[in-house]
Amino acid sequence: MNTGQRSARQIALKAGWPAKGPVCFSCQHQISRRTYAIAAAAAVETQTQANLSHILPVTSTSSQQAYQVRAGVVLSRPPLLTRDLHPFEKAFYLYQRRLNERLALPFTRYFYFKKGTPTDVEWKRKVKARLTPARDIGVYNAYGDEGWNDEVLVGAKEAETEWQVESLLKDAEAPITGIPGQESENGAGAPNGVEFDGEQTPGVSSEKGKVEAVERLMPRVTTADRKGDMKSLDRLLQRSLYLLVKNKEGRWTFPDDRLMGKENLHQAAERVLVQAGGLNMNTWVVGNAPIGYYSFDFPTRRPGLQKNAEELGEKVFFMKARIMAGQANLTENKLGLSDFKWLAKEEIQSAVTPRYWNAVRNMLAER
Amino acid sequence: MRRSTILHSFYSAFRPLSTRTLPANCLRKSFSPITQSLRAPNAAPFSSSSRLLARKGKGGGQKKDNRITQIRYHLTHQKTPRPLRFSRLRALRHWTIHRAWQLFRAKQRTAEQLELERQYNSMREACEALRLMDERGMSGQEGGREVGRLYRIAMEKKGIWDNVPIEYARIQMDYPSREGWNHEWTR
Repeated sequence: MNTGQRSARQIALKAGWPAKGPVCFSCQHQISRRTYAIAAAAAVETQTQANLSHILPVTSTSSQQAYQVRAGVVLSRPPLLTRDLHPFEKAFYLYQRRLNERLALPFTRYFYFKKGTPTDVEWKRKVKARLTPARDIGVYNAYGDEGWNDEVLVGAKEAETEWQVESLLKDAEAPITGIPGQESENGAGAPNGVEFDGEQTPGVSSEKGKVEAVERLMPRVTTADRKGDMKSLDRLLQRSLYLLVKNKEGRWTFPDDRLMGKENLHQAAERVLVQAGGLNMNTWVVGNAPIGYYSFDFPTRRPGLQKNAEELGEKVFFMKARIMAGQANLTENKLGLSDFKWLAKEEIQSAVTPRYWNAVRNMLAER
Repeated sequence: MRRSTILHSFYSAFRPLSTRTLPANCLRKSFSPITQSLRAPNAAPFSSSSRLLARKGKGGGQKKDNRITQIRYHLTHQKTPRPLRFSRLRALRHWTIHRAWQLFRAKQRTAEQLELERQYNSMREACEALRLMDERGMSGQEGGREVGRLYRIAMEKKGIWDNVPIEYARIQMDYPSREGWNHEWTR
């Protein structure tokens, strides 16, 4: 119902045409210009009546009937990590980096390292091992006789992200003792550097080869993933997680509740979040419009809220919300919920009824 | 220094052009008006001090900064532009890889597009159901007194960008943080 339609209707009224009808304004306008306007008007009249008779039964009997209007909340935790790369993507990126190595200029060592400095010595040592200035493409010399051989075999370790990250970190490790000529006084300071992150690095115990530990990254697969802890928000960090709750009937759904009084969907969503998961969630309800809709007809009609009203079914409108911090706590919930889970999209399919899944699947993000 | 000896052969090539390096029989030297005007003070310096005190190096005049020489040397390296030579089969393989990548990206883009369409359609259906719904939840015809009240409110755009949390702008990382999710957050 927008102003355009309304004004069109007003113009149609002024022109003496029936206000309500299935004929649009432009058609009415054309019809009115015709010489057989009366016949057309008659046709419009009959259509209007047919339309009215179609509505009337509903409006006449619906004094008793109603649907529960409910607001549901799709509370999601956005993905915290980037997606896992497809094996083809990994292989292609390595291929491109090696091609780049073939195209690039020779590395200008004198420009970056002053001659004879420890960094220069360090650089020479590293380049001797891997033959190329790039740190994460494996052993490959684009300038040598074997320069044509830039492709790796299928399943090579160089294409794996873990291997590349590991080689980058290894490159960042600087030997504590420095170059052999300058080492003598560094002996006392060396243990401190190793102790900092001692248990995570493969300790190199020989005196000369001691390296300063570089902090290793946290794994992308968390302990919650390994344990299968469905309640933790640390699981499946590269996917969106959705809050599902077990309601009074024992079914898994998104948290929802009936609209109270004159409140709108946004307000209802905020209320449902607090009543279901407690106050200790930092959430934000995105926008005012619903993102999905689930309609269900009860097998038997139920008594409604008002007297002599009966409910045919329920209509749930889902609002989108995000969680930024905190965790759901159902101990004081007012909606009769007994359990909750944080699930990714395809896990929801097995948890909910097929009918519910069909209504809900399209509004959920793939990742 | 060995580096200097290597670079020395290139040095004359990258030294900026000056009047002194031009050969005696060079036409530009004799006819260029710029050179003419420059030559006059050279021949008889009017005042004196700075030019007379200028250090006369081996190459003549001020020596260029070594770093600049090196940058110019490497920018005009003999090995640039680097040729990428492929054998016939290697070129065919490269073409195949390239096509495979294009197909892969096209599939990804289609999947993303379809996902957005699904989400949009879901939202549109929900809004349509809301628009035709009266206060009792029955779907009536447009234009009734209480029909579409929730829809009109849902279409309200006023203030939807207010109080957007700053955490919403958090970008995705390759590796998780050490602390993990903040489960203990309290209001």
